[in-house]
Formats: sequence, C-alpha cells, structure tokens
Amino acid sequence: MRKILILVMVAAFAAAAHAQVKVAPLNIKERTLANGLKVVSVQDNSSPTVAIHVWYNVGGKNDPQGKSGFAHMFEHLMFKSTKNMPNEKMDRLTEDVGGYNNASTWDDFTNYYEVVPSNYLETLLWAEAERMANLNVDDANFASERDVVKEEYRQSVLAQPYGQFNEYIGSLTYTRHPYKRGVIGDLDQLNAASSADARAFHSLFYRPDNAYLIVVGDFEQKQFDAWTDKYLGKVAKPSSTMPRVTEVEPAKTKEARFEKTSPNVPFPAVAITYLGPRSDSVDLPALRVADKILSGGESSRLYQSLVYKQQIAQEASFNIDNKVDGGVLYFEAIASEGKTAPQLEKSLLGELKLIQDKGVTATELAKAKNQLIADAVRGRENNDGKAIVIERAIAYQHDPMAVNSDIENLQKVTAADVLRVMKKYFTDNNRTVIYYSNAGGAK
Amino acid sequence: MKKTIFLAAILLSVLVTNFLAQETPPAPAAPKAVSVPAAQEKKLANGLTVAVIEKRAVPLVTIQLLVKYGASAEDANKAGLADITASMLTKGTTTRTATQIAEAVEFLGGTISSGAGWNGSNVAITVTSDKVDQAMAILSDVILHPKFDQKELDLLKTQSLDGLTYNLKQPSALANYVASKYSFGEHPAGGTPASIASITKSDVESFYENGFLADFSIIIFTGEVTAAAAAATAEKYLGGMKKYVRTDAPSTRAEPVGLPFISGDKPSFAQRLLVVDLPKSGQASVGYYKSNPGVGRKDELFYPASVLNSVLGGGYSSRLNLEIRIKRGLSYGAGSSFAWRYNAMNFSTRAQTKNESAAQVAELVLGELKKLADSTVAADELVPRKSVLTGNFGRNLETTAGLANALADLYTFSVPRTELNSYVDNVNGVSDKQIKDFASRAFFGGDIIIVGDYSVFKDDLAKRFPNMKVDVIKAGELDLSNDNLRK
Repeated sequence: MRKILILVMVAAFAAAAHAQVKVAPLNIKERTLANGLKVVSVQDNSSPTVAIHVWYNVGGKNDPQGKSGFAHMFEHLMFKSTKNMPNEKMDRLTEDVGGYNNASTWDDFTNYYEVVPSNYLETLLWAEAERMANLNVDDANFASERDVVKEEYRQSVLAQPYGQFNEYIGSLTYTRHPYKRGVIGDLDQLNAASSADARAFHSLFYRPDNAYLIVVGDFEQKQFDAWTDKYLGKVAKPSSTMPRVTEVEPAKTKEARFEKTSPNVPFPAVAITYLGPRSDSVDLPALRVADKILSGGESSRLYQSLVYKQQIAQEASFNIDNKVDGGVLYFEAIASEGKTAPQLEKSLLGELKLIQDKGVTATELAKAKNQLIADAVRGRENNDGKAIVIERAIAYQHDPMAVNSDIENLQKVTAADVLRVMKKYFTDNNRTVIYYSNAGGAK
Repeated sequence: MKKTIFLAAILLSVLVTNFLAQETPPAPAAPKAVSVPAAQEKKLANGLTVAVIEKRAVPLVTIQLLVKYGASAEDANKAGLADITASMLTKGTTTRTATQIAEAVEFLGGTISSGAGWNGSNVAITVTSDKVDQAMAILSDVILHPKFDQKELDLLKTQSLDGLTYNLKQPSALANYVASKYSFGEHPAGGTPASIASITKSDVESFYENGFLADFSIIIFTGEVTAAAAAATAEKYLGGMKKYVRTDAPSTRAEPVGLPFISGDKPSFAQRLLVVDLPKSGQASVGYYKSNPGVGRKDELFYPASVLNSVLGGGYSSRLNLEIRIKRGLSYGAGSSFAWRYNAMNFSTRAQTKNESAAQVAELVLGELKKLADSTVAADELVPRKSVLTGNFGRNLETTAGLANALADLYTFSVPRTELNSYVDNVNGVSDKQIKDFASRAFFGGDIIIVGDYSVFKDDLAKRFPNMKVDVIKAGELDLSNDNLRK
C-alpha cells in the first residue's frame, strides 16, 4: 500500500515538473542552542554575500495595554546604543561596508535583518548578540525616535489618501483581539510610553528562547556553527515567563457596516472584510489559489469585471492578511471618477456569489498555480529572498521546513477545495463593510 | 532647550561608552571579489541590438525591449503620450485582445509591463526559463502588431486621469509634478489632466511609428539563457521589426555639451520659494530642486555626482537623513537624487515632515548643500559612502530584472556596456576635491518647493526666509499647461 502511494506521488510530481520548472528545495540546517535560540541556515557560496535575519516572536499584538504602537516604536530603539556599541553602530557595520540593514514590526512578529559582504558575517553575529543581550535605552534616544515614529505615522497613514482606510480594515473587523489596534498604533498612546517601558519590553521579549536566527548565503557550516555558539550561545536565557495573547476573537453573528471619511480622499473606496483562518490552517493554499483567480493580474476576475468591463473601479483586489491567531480576508476597491461605493459593493459581492455558485474553471486553476510557482521562484532569487520565505514559514506555519512543502500543497489544491473555502469563510454574518470617502481638504 | 538636552545626551553616551566598553566587534575577514557578468551583444540584419547577460543560478529569464524614444520626444501639450503609447502595446494586437494578452502572459506565470521614461520606452516580461519561446511570441506580437483600439485608449486615458487625481493628493508626488515644469523646464512625463484628455488614437499611432523601430531598439535577455539561444529567438520573433534610419536627429540623442558652471559671484542657493497649498494635508513635502542642463548621464561628472549624492542623501546614514531624521526626529526619511537625462541632470532632495516643521527642514536642506560646497568630505565619511553605492550596485544585479534594468540604463544613454564592469572602480576613483568642486558649481540658483498646509507654516517660513518672496499656489488652482502654473 505504501509503495503504491509513493508511485502515484512520483507520477503526479513528474506531471507537475513537465508543466513547470521545479522550485529547488532549500537545503535547510536547523538546530537549537542551549539557551533556546533556534538557528536555521542555508549555505550557498555562489556569491560573496550573506543575509542575516533575527526573528523575534513579538509584534504589535504584544503592545502593552494602553500603549498601542509600542512594539513598533521599540523596534526603532534596537538601532541605538548597546553596552559595546554606540548609536547607529549597526549602520557602520552594514551600510558603510556596502550592505544594508532594516527591521519591520508585524502584528505577530518583529524581524531585524542585514545583507552584507560575507566577510562581515562574524561581526554581525556579534552585533546581533549584543543588541539581544545588552541594549541601552536612554531618554534622549527614546524621545527622538518617538518623533520619528510620529512622522512615520503621518507619512504612511495621514499623508496617504487611503492610509486611514487601510487602518480601518483591521480596527473595524476585529472587535476584541489586539490585532484591532494595528501595528502603527496611536500617537497619543505613544506619548504615554516611557524609556522604562522600553527596557521592560526588551527584557520580557528580546531573549534567545523567543527568537530564530536565519542565515542564508556564503559561509562554511562548521565555522558558522562555531560563531553562533560563541556569540549568540552566550546570551543568557531569562527565567521569567513571557505573557502571551490569549484573547480570542469571537465569531461574528451579523453583518457590520461603517462609513468613514478623511480629508483629501480623491475617490470613494469600499472594503468588504471577513474573519479568516489561523495562519497554519490547511485552508490557506486554497485561499491563495482563490486570491490569484480573483485578483492576480489583469486577466483576473475582479480586474476584468470591475475595472475593465464595468469600468466602475480603478483598482479592485482580493487580499489575505495572514495572521497567526486568525487573519482577515477582504475585498477592496477604489472607485473610478463619478462612481460610488454602493456600486463597488454590489459588484464585489456579485463576483463573490459567482465563485460560490459556479466555482472556478480548470484553466483558472492551472493559471493560478503557474502564477504562484513563478512567484515562488522569483521570491527565492537571492539570499535575502530565501531568508524571507523561511522567516514567514516560521512565523505562520511554525516550521522553517514548511517552505519546502508549500509548492506541493499548492499543487494539490482542487477546484472543489477553492469552492469549499469560498463558502466556508465568506458568509453574510461574517461580513464587515467599510465605506470611505472625502471630507474636507484641498478643493 | 531641545538642542542643549541633545548635546548633553551625546556627551553622556560618549562617556558611558568609553567607560564601560569592554568588547569590540570581531574584525571582518578578508573581502572576496564580486564578479559582474559581462554583457554579450549582437546586431541583427534589421539593426536591432540583442544584448544578453547569462546568469544560471535561478531558472528565470527577463526579456526587455528598450526603445530609445521616450517622453522627451513628445510635445509638452501632449505630455503623457510616450507612456500611453507604451502602455497601449499590451492592450490589444491585430490577433489578440487585451484580455487574451493578459490571459496568455499570466498563464505562463509572468507579468508583462510597459511604460516610458524621459529618454526611453520599454516592454518587459519575466518568466521561468522554460517559457522563453512562448513569452517571446507574445512580447513580439505586442511590439510589432499593436492595434491601438479606440475603446482601449479611452479606458487607459480615464485610468491615467484617475491616477493623476490620486497622485496629486499626495504631497511628494504633487511636488515632483510641479517641479518638472517649474524647476526642470520639462513637462510632467505622466501628463497633465489637459494633455491626457487631448491625446488621440492618431497621436499614439504616429508616436509608435516614429519610435518603435529596430535601429532605435535593444532587446535584452538576462538569466538562464545562452547568447546563441537569445539571438536565435530574437531573430525568429523580431527579425521582421521595421528598420528606419532617420535623417533628422531626435533631441534625445543630442550629445552632452558640458556643464555651464557658474563662475564669479555666486547667487544664493535658493533663488525661488514656491508653496503649493494643500489644506489639511497630513504632512508637508519639502524639497530643493535644481536642473543642470548640459551634463548628461554619459558625462564623466556622473561619478562625482553619484558619490556626492551618496554623501548627501543616498541611504540611511547620508547627511540629510542624519540631520533631519536621526538627530532631530523631523521626518521618517530624507534623501536626494539625480534624475539623469541624455543631456541634463535634475537634482532634487526629498523629505516629508509635519506641517509645523516645514520651514525648519527647508533651512536644514540648504545648510547641507552649502556645507558640501564649502568644505571637502573627509576620508572616513567618503569611503563608506562609496561602499553604499558599490554595494547597492551589486545587489541590484542579483536579480534577472535588476540586471536587465542596469543594462537598459546604459543603452538608454549610449554608455559603453563595459561600464557595468568598471562601475566599482569608477566610483572608488572619485576624489574629495571633485565633489567639492562639483557642489560649488552645480547647486546654485535652485528652488525650494513646499507642498502642505500653508496656514500652519506660513509665519515660520516668513521668519526663517525673510528675504525671499514666497509664491503660493492653491493645489486646486494648479495647471501645468500654463506658464504661470495656474488655471
């Protein structure tokens, strides 16, 4: 029985390989240090660079009560001084030698990353250990970075015509879960935060047993393992317990509707949102296929219907905002000149009904898979791209090795799977509708 | 007060660091050489150039057709024509509808993109390497047999107008739009509401006929493809591309004539101060804009200018970001750039800040420009800033699309393809003296443009720039069709 199964799988795989180039599996080495730090590495000596990611299991959802936006603001402080590094030393070790660094805070996690010439790998492992173990937070740095974060908020939320609209998608879809607050948070609440909060946050969450080190690129495995032990292995594991988010978002019982406005909004927009599955759900591959069929390019259903044929929208999309404790699935459209939010809503719901009633065609299914596989190949083109997909697998599937089964899982999706998930999540009672339009600003 | 606290904090951190430092970072190992693959080139009988960079690491191929004919070739009152023409290519051929083109390309797992810049137009596609032949069949069809259907043109124009309306609600995009005419003496390549509305099917057809010719074009292949295979597929699909040797010399091909550097008494940095009033804007965009006609991408000043820009506003640790963001928390990010033309370079700085601090940021920007002109950049700053450039350059070449773009950039400006391989040496060869010399001649007489809620920063602006006349235009009254920028 077992043998037959394997044969069938080989045949299926051969067919897939004939239709598509294969996505080469990543040769991942994984180990856990004594202090709990998990280390994932992929050696690839084809170019003399290396991508280093340190992923912490803490994000916007872990903001202290009444301090929305704190986890993100804290991320900025990680580039300031440590016991053995002055402010902005990370830039000296990366940017100044032809590399770069950055970090990003998500609802569920925070990542810090560098891409550098590979002769700097040891230096950067030291530096990452340094800011994990020995971060300094002083009042001056705290105050100046808080101002930077306020400008970031103004730039990404207030100065963008649809910046606030994007924030409403989370804040109006969730009713209880901290995802409701959004990562960028609230300027008034950030004013209430102090450098003491930052020190407490660091000691609570920035610790080896709450992190992954992911390194992809030019190194020798034995040497890399030795450096990891020497620098990151030395970081002490605290005995305190980390608070975890236990809030459960209740299932929705009836449709909710909102109308919101902001200044300088050029065209009305609408979002139709639904609470979605946890990020490790087996439904995700089918939802990703549905995503491509609905809005993957100009041949997709939403573009063809709303933008091309009816010409009521300049942009129409379906989106999966994946989150560990349950994400948001949403339709979004921005009206063309003279068109209205109710017209957009009606058409989007019409497209939803069509897919729920009639399902998808074999051609659409094949096209979506081709697109997803090509995306995967493009996404893994360089060291950093590979590190990113590994990191997302850790965040959302809780297993770095999941990157190597993703493609296979997508290949297995059937038209019936797509139909099933479209019926399961997109119910009338699970729906939130948001209208967004102009109020004030330039004439 | 704020300044005092800040200085005290710096002193304190220096003291603390010296006192407690016990460890220094492990020194880097010896650097390894980065190799940049060489481009191979072949000319087909019809004059079409085939350029190939083979890169085998990933099974991907980017194919890009570059036509050395872009927005600079369109009339100002037809601004946006080059981009609309390029975009129309994928909106239907004599045998395929727009939907069929999208359907076919997306079935291959690819995306097709087309558009125009100032000095060139392009159509590009990236596919897995087993799909090159199928991709070329579609790509060549859109290049050789576009239909320019009236209904498709109407839709594209509506979309362009909507896009413009959207962009003009964003402070930075609005500032760049205004600067194109006000400071650079060009027209906005994305068009104006009036120019886009006026574009007809015959405008598009004649722009295409004049520009999309084999001898103005380069077909670029990068990725998992051999030079021989690329040449064969180019011949098979584009060997029939029309050749036309022009007798007139289009303006895009004018040779650089050298910078009309200022000598004698220098005027002040900022000659004019323009405010575009956008009430209730979430932030203000603050920029300095200066065109230098006569120096083009091909000029040897390209390298000193690039290194200077890296010092001033290229990357996180550049001076503008250091002064505006890192030291003062006035912006999420500040920077600068040169937009290169065949025979000009358009310099601009950028920062978005709360409306209250717009005038302060303008003052800081001018201060940094002056500093570059007044004193040389020390080696401990210059060397790292060169590394920023060479590091970025190497990383951009990691993807097939990045390689194709780098190559297209060289072809656009008729720069020898070997510069791909000499870029790093050229950057490292720039001296501190060259930078100072460049800064002291190229940055005078530009414009400050602020787009934001004028009522908030009006008084502070008058206070900080007492000797400058402030020209204010309401965002709703802007019209770039007219020389006074007003409706």
